Amino acid sequence: MEIPYIVTPRKDTGLFNSKIAIWLFLASEVMLFGGFFSAYVFLRIGADYPWPERTLPVLPGLINTFVLIGSSMTVVFAWASLKLHQWRRFQLFMGITVACAVIFMILKGIEYNVKFQHQAVRLKDYSVVEGHLGYEKVGEEYEKDHNGHKIEENRILVEATRVTFNTVRFHKSWVEELISQAEHRKSKIVLAEDLSAIIDEGQPPKTLAKAGDALSLELLERLQKAHLDARAHNGALRTAALRGEWKKANAANPGKRGWEIASGVNIDVEALAPKLLTEIGTVAFTVEPAARFDFQPRDVREAETQSRLRDDTLVDGKLLASPMVFHYVDAIDFQHLAMKAVEKGQDPMVAIEDSWLIKNHPFAKEAWEWNKGEVAKLEKKLIEKYGMDGKTGKPNREPTLKERYRIGWKDFVAKADGVGREKETIALKEEFMGPDYKGREAKHTFPHLSLPREQVGFASKFSPAWNTYYAIYFTITGLHGLHVIGGALVLAYYLFFGRKMYESNPEWLANRVEIGGLFWHFVDLVWIFVFPILYLM
Amino acid sequence: MSSHDTSHAGHDAHHDDHHHNPGFIWKYVFSSDHKMIGLQYGITAMLFLAFGFYLMMVMRWSIAYPHQPLPEWMSWVFTDGWKARWLQDGKVTGETYNMFGAMHGTIMVFLGIVPLGFGAFGNYVTPLQIGAPDMAFPRLNMASYWVYLIGGLIMCASFFMESGPAKSGWTNYSPLAGFADGQVVNQWLAGQTQWLIGLVCLITSSLLGSVNFITTIINLRARGMTWMRMPFFVWSMLVTGFLLLLAFPPLEAAGIMQLMDRVAHSSFFMPSGLFTKAEGLADLSGGGSPLLFQHLFWFLGHPEVYVLLLPAFACVAEIIPVNTRKPLWGYKSMVYSLLVLGFLSFVVWAHHMYMTGMGAAVSTFFQTTTVLISIPSVVIITSMLISLWGGSIRFTPPMLWACAFIPMFGIGGLTGLPLAFNLADLHLHDTYYVIGHFHYVVAPGILFGFFAGVLHWYPKITGRFMSRTLNHLHFWPSLICMNLIFFPMLLQGMAGFHRRWYNGGDAYLDKATAAAANGSNVFANAAASHIDMNILMSWGAWTLALAQIPFIINLFGSLKFGRKVTSDNPWHATTLEWATPTPPGHGNFTFDPVVYRGPYEYSRPDRDEDFLPQWNEPIRTDSADKPSSGH
Repeated sequence: MEIPYIVTPRKDTGLFNSKIAIWLFLASEVMLFGGFFSAYVFLRIGADYPWPERTLPVLPGLINTFVLIGSSMTVVFAWASLKLHQWRRFQLFMGITVACAVIFMILKGIEYNVKFQHQAVRLKDYSVVEGHLGYEKVGEEYEKDHNGHKIEENRILVEATRVTFNTVRFHKSWVEELISQAEHRKSKIVLAEDLSAIIDEGQPPKTLAKAGDALSLELLERLQKAHLDARAHNGALRTAALRGEWKKANAANPGKRGWEIASGVNIDVEALAPKLLTEIGTVAFTVEPAARFDFQPRDVREAETQSRLRDDTLVDGKLLASPMVFHYVDAIDFQHLAMKAVEKGQDPMVAIEDSWLIKNHPFAKEAWEWNKGEVAKLEKKLIEKYGMDGKTGKPNREPTLKERYRIGWKDFVAKADGVGREKETIALKEEFMGPDYKGREAKHTFPHLSLPREQVGFASKFSPAWNTYYAIYFTITGLHGLHVIGGALVLAYYLFFGRKMYESNPEWLANRVEIGGLFWHFVDLVWIFVFPILYLM
Repeated sequence: MSSHDTSHAGHDAHHDDHHHNPGFIWKYVFSSDHKMIGLQYGITAMLFLAFGFYLMMVMRWSIAYPHQPLPEWMSWVFTDGWKARWLQDGKVTGETYNMFGAMHGTIMVFLGIVPLGFGAFGNYVTPLQIGAPDMAFPRLNMASYWVYLIGGLIMCASFFMESGPAKSGWTNYSPLAGFADGQVVNQWLAGQTQWLIGLVCLITSSLLGSVNFITTIINLRARGMTWMRMPFFVWSMLVTGFLLLLAFPPLEAAGIMQLMDRVAHSSFFMPSGLFTKAEGLADLSGGGSPLLFQHLFWFLGHPEVYVLLLPAFACVAEIIPVNTRKPLWGYKSMVYSLLVLGFLSFVVWAHHMYMTGMGAAVSTFFQTTTVLISIPSVVIITSMLISLWGGSIRFTPPMLWACAFIPMFGIGGLTGLPLAFNLADLHLHDTYYVIGHFHYVVAPGILFGFFAGVLHWYPKITGRFMSRTLNHLHFWPSLICMNLIFFPMLLQGMAGFHRRWYNGGDAYLDKATAAAANGSNVFANAAASHIDMNILMSWGAWTLALAQIPFIINLFGSLKFGRKVTSDNPWHATTLEWATPTPPGHGNFTFDPVVYRGPYEYSRPDRDEDFLPQWNEPIRTDSADKPSSGH
């Protein structure tokens, strides 16, 4: 059996099969990215926080744009070379195309990496601080967690005396982490009291573990199994008993609907009791001596005396001061605070002066004063340039909200260098990788900040969690990146494994390169939309 | 020249492969033959349908007998451990009901009906009807099936996860769906997340399938098979293909964003200031839009309705002319209606969202388009009805189902009209009326169409007929039970029964007596006056399950005991699938098919026989027949 029109086009449609297929596929892709772009519009219009405008470094994005456009051209040259039966030229151009894809992904990777290292926090009063966190230290040494990673100074600290696990839901790696943290702090987690349970019907209770037994995964898993067995056993008994009760009740109340007699139908708990096994829903351990445990903020819901981990583990103990420590603050942003103030009918300037940051941190006050001066200069400049509106008596152009209320890292540089806004000198490397904290330490460009936990409203890295802008940025560019990788793999396959087909059926290979190229154009086209909406607007 | 030689040698080697016996695995499991893939789709989809049906049977127990333990004839499936976790003292809990409800909808729509209609019937019949040797991309076709199966298994595997399966309805609305299973530390193992991963697989599968179908129909038509000589079935598949191709990706976008919300803690669909009893203020940035999810979901959701429906239309439209021995009435207007229907289905989605407060202007727009879309549907269904007029109807087993399809789908369609108007929808939204409406469309409508299709093409697939007696045992109880289940739903819905009451309205009964004095409590009144129907409906549902047993016996038993067909064209049909050997071999046709005329040439006055197949060469008197010059 031969499928027709694989290589030669059908006369009346003028198309070979895979060409139809790729156009259909691209139509589907248009709808997919259309969904994301609509989401972008929807989220941006509906945002109830100041949408970050022009917040990404433009240079890497711009370079990537040209890299992709260039590769879109070379893929056409590669296809044309095949049509002309010039294998070496095909190799050259296809090689450039694939190399462009690699450059694109490397630049993208750098961009992503910088963001994942960058911390942001929204205070309870809606001022926003961005920067780099410090790491926990003991003396001069960095402290490591049980995986050997440095621990960021963004932890919930608890002086734990007692840990209670949910036998069904405990999370293995967290148990391991608790054991290792205790070991680290020269403490032990041991069973609080003897644990005995009925594990066979009608038998006396058996001791499953003794007080003082050390916490281990093996112990928890053993208890989990006993608990689930008991639940299954008891559940079956209770179900059978309830079925019996209903049988009796239905016989005693002929013609009555179930819901009319339901309140009178109950299991005879006492008769059942001797047959039941012991269910061990929770198991308590003591920490001896009490030790400091630290948790990722997202994993724990902290409270004064008893904190709860997301897997339902209860940690009894005093909540310690758990500040979030920025070693370098590289932006202070009052846009959100100002927006909230206007919503409440307050003067944003007053609200900012009243904010926790300005009141508690001299550096913030200093930066804010500097910023006010710069805004005044800018206002003056705009009036000189664009003049005043004769009717309203207001300037034709005013500084944007971002210019008014955000002190970004370049502003900190300008301030430290003693020059005006936008007159700062930034190294090329910094345009890609963000500020050079170490190099600028001598001038104290980026201040230190210890933020008490109770001031933290919402904190996140510059990841999809930070706000819907970063969410859509990572989703669209991530998906686009996957398309780049997929397309590059296919093109690389033609480059490295196409020789055999070139020799047997060059037209077929040319067709394949053509549809691969069409896909590549599409990937380029998507980027041409992505770049302005995410980087420039 | 040397390159040409190599190519020829390669070609020969390739060709020889097909003469070898491919072996069991390659013939039945990893087959790239569209017919085997169609059968794989069909069997898998029917298994999923049975599973979805079972979930519903459990739910109906909770509705009819809310305080009573699940009886053993239903609960034996579960292990004791599973029962202990999800059935409290053997009773269905609200949470379990939600899981079963969400999975029932998902399985029926995405894993049952779509694969059965598009995947099974479409795959088996489309290439045969256009005279193609196979799909344009046989291996893509195989991939499409396997991705579908994997997606389905991932979804169903979530029944065994600690969290249980998805539990936020088949529509998976955020922020409810965003919070569900939030307690699971490893989100990739949460049922709600697995639902999304499964969904992305299913969308990928349907993308591969639809690209393949459309390409096949455009490029692989036999000589002479012009557009207006294509059977209505093929047209339906073409339009269905486009719907899948263009409507599914926005849901994929929504699915990916919801996945991000779950595993990367983003806030695409999570508004600011979300507060839950269990978690307090959500540890999220907020700023997202729950409405966005609904828009993206229903942008798929509505075309999806037609993805379900069109294959059933397709089957019935093939069966009616064969069994009335006259041409399909209004073939061209049906085709144009189909195209209009396909287009309009993209601009009606927000009629599912009248209650979201999206604004009167938007509602008015979608109300208008929704009413408009009923016109092409009515044209198609009316054409089918008129096709019966004056025909010499043969009540063959497939015709029985096709005849039932028309009124049953009619009820489903007409009960949709009040829902199209946003004023009426205020009252009916999220009540059992909606459930009754779309189940009339899907269950006695679409499924009946598919039963008709199975019976119609069974002789071509197996070389044997299915049993008439068993079919009667299947058909009549099914018809009665379907109406027993779904008609009371319409009444309950109008009385105000909410679709998500897991105890069938029982919780409102006490209040009913309290409120009887002033009669102002609409839920209580509804519960008091309509709750008895629950028992009737539930028994209807369980009897319906029994009524499927004759079908299963018939389906498998007839393989061995069915009456053998005596010719390749046992129904005396005119379309190309009947020109193939029985069953068709790999590559389908034993001759090079050429098409000379339209698909429904029955009872031509100038012929002695009452049918004239598309492939019969014209004799001189057939002045109207000529092969198209196009190829």
